[in-house]
Order: sequence, then structure tokens, then C-alpha cells
Amino acid sequence: MTLTRPVVVGAGVDRVDGPLKVAGAAAYSSDITLPGMVHVALVRSTIAAGRITRLDTGAAEQLPGVLAVLSHHNAPRLAAGPTNNLGPTPPPPLQDDRIRHHGQYLAAVVAEKPYQAAAAARAVTVEYERTEPVLRIEDPAGELRTDPFGMDATRGDAAGALAAAEVVHEATYVTAENTNNPLGLFATVAQWSGGRLTVHDATQWTSNTCQTLAQMFEVPESAVRVYAKYVGGAFGSGLRVWPHVVLAVLAARTVGRPVKLVLSRPEMFTGIGHRPNTVQQLRIGAARDGGFVAIEHEALQTVAMDDENLEPVAASSASAYACPNVATRDRQRRLNIPCPGSMRAPGEAQANFALESAIDELSYLLDMDPLDLRLRNYAQVQPQFGLPWSSKALRECYQVGAERFGWSRRDRRIGAMRDGRWLVGYGMAGVSYLWWQVHCEARATIGSDGTGYVRSAATDIGTGTYTVMRQLSAELLGLELDQVRFDLGDSNLPWSPQAGGSGLTGALGNAVHAACRELIRTFLRTVVNDSASPLRGCTIDDVAVSGGRIHHRADGKLGESFVAILARHGLDELTADGVSDPPDPQEVGMAPAGAFAAKFVEVHVDPDLGLLRVPRIVSVVDGGRILNEKLARSQIIGATVGGVGQAILEETVTDPRTGRIANANLGDYLVAVNADIGEIDVTFVGEPDQLTPLGTKGVGEVGLPGTAAAVANAVYHATGKRIRSLPITIDDLLG
Amino acid sequence: MSQDSRNARAAQPAAGDAGTVRVTLTVNGADHELLIDSRVTLLDALRDELALTGTKKGCDQGACGACTVLVDGRRVLSCLTLAAQCDRRQVATIEGLSSDGRLHPLQEAFLRHDGFQCGYCTPGQIMSAVALLHEGRTGSDDEIREFMSGNICRCGAYPNIVAAIREVARQGAR
Ligand code: FES
Ligand code: FES
Repeated sequence: MTLTRPVVVGAGVDRVDGPLKVAGAAAYSSDITLPGMVHVALVRSTIAAGRITRLDTGAAEQLPGVLAVLSHHNAPRLAAGPTNNLGPTPPPPLQDDRIRHHGQYLAAVVAEKPYQAAAAARAVTVEYERTEPVLRIEDPAGELRTDPFGMDATRGDAAGALAAAEVVHEATYVTAENTNNPLGLFATVAQWSGGRLTVHDATQWTSNTCQTLAQMFEVPESAVRVYAKYVGGAFGSGLRVWPHVVLAVLAARTVGRPVKLVLSRPEMFTGIGHRPNTVQQLRIGAARDGGFVAIEHEALQTVAMDDENLEPVAASSASAYACPNVATRDRQRRLNIPCPGSMRAPGEAQANFALESAIDELSYLLDMDPLDLRLRNYAQVQPQFGLPWSSKALRECYQVGAERFGWSRRDRRIGAMRDGRWLVGYGMAGVSYLWWQVHCEARATIGSDGTGYVRSAATDIGTGTYTVMRQLSAELLGLELDQVRFDLGDSNLPWSPQAGGSGLTGALGNAVHAACRELIRTFLRTVVNDSASPLRGCTIDDVAVSGGRIHHRADGKLGESFVAILARHGLDELTADGVSDPPDPQEVGMAPAGAFAAKFVEVHVDPDLGLLRVPRIVSVVDGGRILNEKLARSQIIGATVGGVGQAILEETVTDPRTGRIANANLGDYLVAVNADIGEIDVTFVGEPDQLTPLGTKGVGEVGLPGTAAAVANAVYHATGKRIRSLPITIDDLLG
Repeated sequence: MSQDSRNARAAQPAAGDAGTVRVTLTVNGADHELLIDSRVTLLDALRDELALTGTKKGCDQGACGACTVLVDGRRVLSCLTLAAQCDRRQVATIEGLSSDGRLHPLQEAFLRHDGFQCGYCTPGQIMSAVALLHEGRTGSDDEIREFMSGNICRCGAYPNIVAAIREVARQGAR
């Protein structure tokens, strides 16, 4: 039983959670109301470094509706959270008087009404002993961490090869800090009853939130249940258990009532991570014919006090191109800033801008077409391991993209193309996304009415997990779409990894595959000695499923329905579990491939006003097997829009003296709006990946990287101005 | 509406509590009499007092459009509107859009064109789009883009949102 004949899968099925969402009936955590529920508001630090000398809650406690004010004076000591595959849990709040960053939580006010809590939070007075904060990435006063991920890569002798190279391009690229800003305000609803904790949260990872809260509050995991049925976007900000979640749980325990804590938009800038800014040095050496002889990539990024953030930047340059001599180095500077964290395509969003800009620059030094230069250095095998890729159709991405975009119409001369008074530029970039997959579990049941129920603790943050997993389950169980339910977003369901790293569809899909297969085996075991069954003695390799029946592979008539088997054996249902684990690349003799993509971008630049428009973007993606083309396409569109934001709009601005974020709202922090986005063309190419039975490669992030570099490269083509910092602003283009 | 008539409709302070006002909101055709703090926004009144959580809060600062509802047929940001300003006015929210279990054509078009991902901006987008059709701002894709730009979709579903609105606008024109 394999997925050779996609029937349900692949089709552009509409989102199964769509009817609820368009009716405003999907309940996000901020929509949950419990009887007797009260509200929490937060007090945040107004300095970036130092300590609290006085924190007075007296006035706040007297205000109407106030039930409790928590601070480091009265908060209990909490155990540290666990370390998982993304690193340690952020430090628990209110544990001491130290200030690590502007916006750090100093107190939590609990009141009957949200506006009462907010008013009381403003009445808490704090005095500080201020010390000089370390805020700039270049500041040597901040601790410099070398190789923080243990992923620095070398092959050959990059320095030697650069010294001897015929052509060398060397430059520094800078990317701004960006803030995830999912539209849904993060909210936590927490309730304790009889030593049991129930939480509704905006998280990408219910299993981890459950484990973390259990550990911090020293209760068994079985006493904690975390729901995230609908999440209003996250883009990485829901991967960790942030201090506000802990505060909500603590507040609920303190007042003995259910509480709701909704972050304000300004708090969304300091409390749930952000994409760290980077300074990256790129050196590429090439022979006159365009062949790369050396790539050196050193990337410095920021990290917070007492925290870690898994964000390999330079590391991805080791496997992007065939090149004998490579050195990549990641560095982190520790600053008095809010904790950085993952934001859609963490690391790669920044790295790709530097690498793909540098290659474009090199193409002009070599007088080669930038697309030809990339093809000239195509990594046919994984260059670091020398193993064949489990799948790679990047060449096809380039070819199809060039065709759809009309790359051949590009006049190579700078500033030669125009549309009226606007300068027109064409730019492109390649993307080789890193592979990420982790352990996952799922459970599948078929009941006496013949319907299926498949579930896992996973989350759907808008990615389409509800839909594609229902499609997949239906296909694997031989049922119609409306005969299967797929449930997620509940930590009581089988353990799931994070919806992150573009890894969930693969991990969960393979776990669902395993669970459904095991369920069919369980049915076959039930009838193994059943003389009344036409399936007696069959193994899973002998059968196929369709129309609610298991039947002989060779003879569709020879079989029987799930309903008949259950009825004859007096069973209400049969259930089976499945797990998936990432395969060992050495064992399978293949290098696990992430998704690949090519981006082609047209920009228009007003030479007098410096206005920059991006009317057209063509993306061609090798995402392995695509489970639902409609939803996968939306993932690429959305990530591309995020890429446009990174390229020309988004920058979190921190006051270099105080550490205060100066634009912590959606009026001043610019994200792409509808009028910023033109035509976005998306095509999928490639074959199912060979590494797993399902053959998917995640497509949640691959649409973002490449966008900024292609925009910058197009801007150069249009104007002759090489912009090496993001976002590209009007000042850059007028300067 | 003139400034005068707006003032004339302002809610009266409730007897006995200077901070509390009595407001009658007509939401999706049904009257609701509320005794609320004068600081309460229309958004919070809908969500917290009337349990109509379909209207979303994305910023509470007038910058994202998630809270868009119609007041007397015109789109407003309910986070920037005090509930007390809406006394005896007609408020339309996403919950009132479908009738007899049948989705509004825009809701269907958003579904068909996958005009959303997380869905959080969607009620605001759809309410804005309803107003857009009445405003006659659907003549071209560029016009739709421009006049839908007060509604942020952080998931980036814009091209699909435009496709959905375009389709409904064309059907209406036929
Ligand atoms: S919540 Fe009203 S505009 Fe954002
Ligand atoms: S669908 Fe998520 S913000 Fe628009």
C-alpha cells in the first residue's frame, strides 16, 4: 500500500476550516471566554539594563476591580523550562530584580475587567538603578559567541583559494531586525481546577507548551492540557513558551479563577521574538569562466541576555553551490534586547540576501548572465557530504522561472529598460532551503459507522494542516473526504513537533501514513483466521483500500468493508498509532533535501522620487510531493509577500540610547499591504522526495528567501545602485 | 452624517455612575441595551459584552483593519469607535453576513480563492469588501488593492483576496 496514485491528495481542495473562518466562527485563544474569567495586564520595563530599586503596587491594588498584582516581590520561584531541539525555554518572568531589556515584564495585574487591569498596570510605579545597556551589534562590550550552533562548516581551503582566485567579490551585507507581527494578538487563557491546568494559547507547538508548563509549575504533564485549535498566524513567534504564557498561568493560580491575558500590539514587539538583525561578510572567488573556487561567509547576529536562539545564518551557504573551498562562520552578539526568535525562514531569510546579492555582483565582474552563473555552479550532489540529493529540481526551477518571467527579454545593460518615467529592473535569486525533520506521532481510528478519525497534537497556523492531513488520511484509509475527521491543536493528542522549520507536513504526514497503515494491518490481523472474511491471511502488501473497503490488490471485488469487519467481530472501533522519525542520511545514502526555489522579480524605480514598486514576482518551487496545490500555492504567495516586506518595508527600530523600540505598532512598523503587492506567479516542479514514504518537502518558508535578493538585484539592474542593506528605502535610492 | 446629528445620538450617562453609560446597539438587526463603562470601544462591546467574537482585534490602534465593521452601512474601525458613539445606530458584523445558513457571495469567494490562511484578518477583510462593493471601488484590480489596503493580511493572502473580490464584483455587474 503506497501513495502511487494520488486521488484525493494533490487536488486543490478548499480549506476544511474555511467555512468557520469566513464566518468569524473559528475561536482563537483571544476569543475564549470562561465563566468567572478575569483579566491580566502587564507592566514593562522602561529601561534596558540595570535593576529595580523600588516597585510600588500599593496604588494599583486599591483600584476598582483589582484582584492581585504579581511582581518579583511576591511571585513564587519557578523551575526553568526544558531545553528542546530549538534550545532552552526563555527565562521565567518575575524571578529577580535584574533588567535585561526594555519591555521586560516587571509586574502582572489581575482585575475583573480588561480595562481595569490596564488602568491598574499604569498605576504601578517602578524606580530603577540604570546601567549602560549594550544595544548595537558592533559593540565590543557585548559578549561575542563563536560557532553558537556547532554548524560552522569548512571544506578545502577557502582562504588559500580566495588569495589565488582570478576574480574575487567581497562585500558586507546588513539586514534589519524584523518583527513577526502575526495579526492575531497572542493570548493565553489559563484555568486551574483541582491541580489540573487547562490553557488555550497561541502556540505552534502544544506538546512543548504542555511539557514546559508542567516542568515550570512542577505538576505532571498529564495534569496539563494545552489547546491551540486556531492560531491567528505566528510565523515562528509561537515556537517558544514566552513569559506572558507563564504569567497567565501564574495569575490563574494566584487568584484561583480563570484568567485571560491578551498581549497588546506594542507588547507583540518585545515579548514573542523577532528576526535578529545581521551583519554578513561574503567573499566569493571564481575562475574567469565563472566556476566558483571559494565561498567564505561570516554572519554576525544578535541574541538576548540569558537566552539562546537557534538561527544558523551562514551555515546554509555551505550547501547551496558546488564549490571546492568553503568556510562558513556564525557569530552572535549578546545585547540588552528582547529575545530574538524564529521568524519565517529563520537564518535563511538573512543569509540568502547576502549570498544571492553577492553572486549577482560577481556576475557583473565576470560579465555573465546571473542565471548562467548559478547554473554554472549548480550543486548536482550535496557538496558538503558528496551524497546525491534525495530530490532536487532547482535546475527546472530556474528554467521554468526564466520562461514564465521572460528573462530572455532582459536587456543586460544597467538602466536600459524603462516604462515611461520609471526605470525597470529584472533580478533573480536561487534558494536552497535546509532540511528539517523531527519525531512525530499520530493515531488513527475507524468506527463502526465506517468513518475515520485521525489526530495529533500538531497545530494549523494557517498552513492548511487540518485540510491536507484530512485529505491524506482519506486517501490512506480509502474513504471520502467527508468521512474522515482530522483533529489537532490539543496536547492530549499524540505528541507532535512544532509547526516550524517547514518540517511539520513531512513529520506529521509520515506519522499519519504510519498510523493509517498500522490501522489497516490491525484490521487484517482481526480477520487473519476469520473464515468468513475474503481477506483472511492477507498481509498489507496484498491489499489496497477504497470506498470504505479493504480489498485484494489484484481483485477489487474480493474484499469487505471496515463496517462489516467491525460488526462481525463485535467491535465499536479499531485504533492504531503511528510514528515517524527522520531517516539517517548515511544509512539511506542520500543527502536529505529541503525545498528549492527560483525567484524572478521585476521592479520599477522612480528615478526622481526614489519610489520602488514590485509589480511582478515569479516563483518556481520544488517542494517534492505537493499534497494540496491550492494551499501550497497560498503558502508561497504569503511567504513572498513576507519577502517583499523584508526587502522594502520592514525594520524594527531601536533607540540606540535607551533600547526602546521606537516603532512598536502597525502604523510605524511597515508591513506589506494589498497595494504593495502586484502579480505573484507560482509554479511547482519536481518529483516526490525519495527520503520518506510521503515524499513531501515543506513549503511554508521557501517562498520567502530569494525575494529580497532578487529585488535588490533588480534594483541594481534598474538603477546601477547596489543596495547591500535591508530594507531598501527611498533614502537608499535617492542617495 | 453631520457633527450635530452625531452628538444628538450620543448615549446618555446612566444615573448614579458618572463613568457608566446606557447604550442601545442595533447589531445585525437586533437591539441590545448595554450599561457599560464610557471608555469601552465598539470592538470591546461587541466582543466582551455581546460575545460576538467574529470581529477581531489586531492592534487596537486603528492600524490593521481586523476590527472593521459597518456602522450605518459605512466601514469603520471598531477599535477607534466608542460604543457610546453608536447608540441607536445600525452595526453590521461578520456574524450577520450569512443568512439562513447560506454564506454571503464574498464569503464563498474567499473560500474558493483561498483568500486567507490563519483567518484572523478575514472577518475584517470581508466586511471591508462588502463596503467596497457599495462604494463602487472595484473597477480594476489596482482599485481593489488600493481601497483594501486598510486591511492588513500578515499571512499575505492579498492576490487571492483581490481575486475573490473581483469575482463577486463582476458577478454583481452582470
Ligand atoms: S484592531 Fe482596529 S484597526 Fe487594528
Ligand atoms: S489570513 Fe492571516 S492575517 Fe490574513
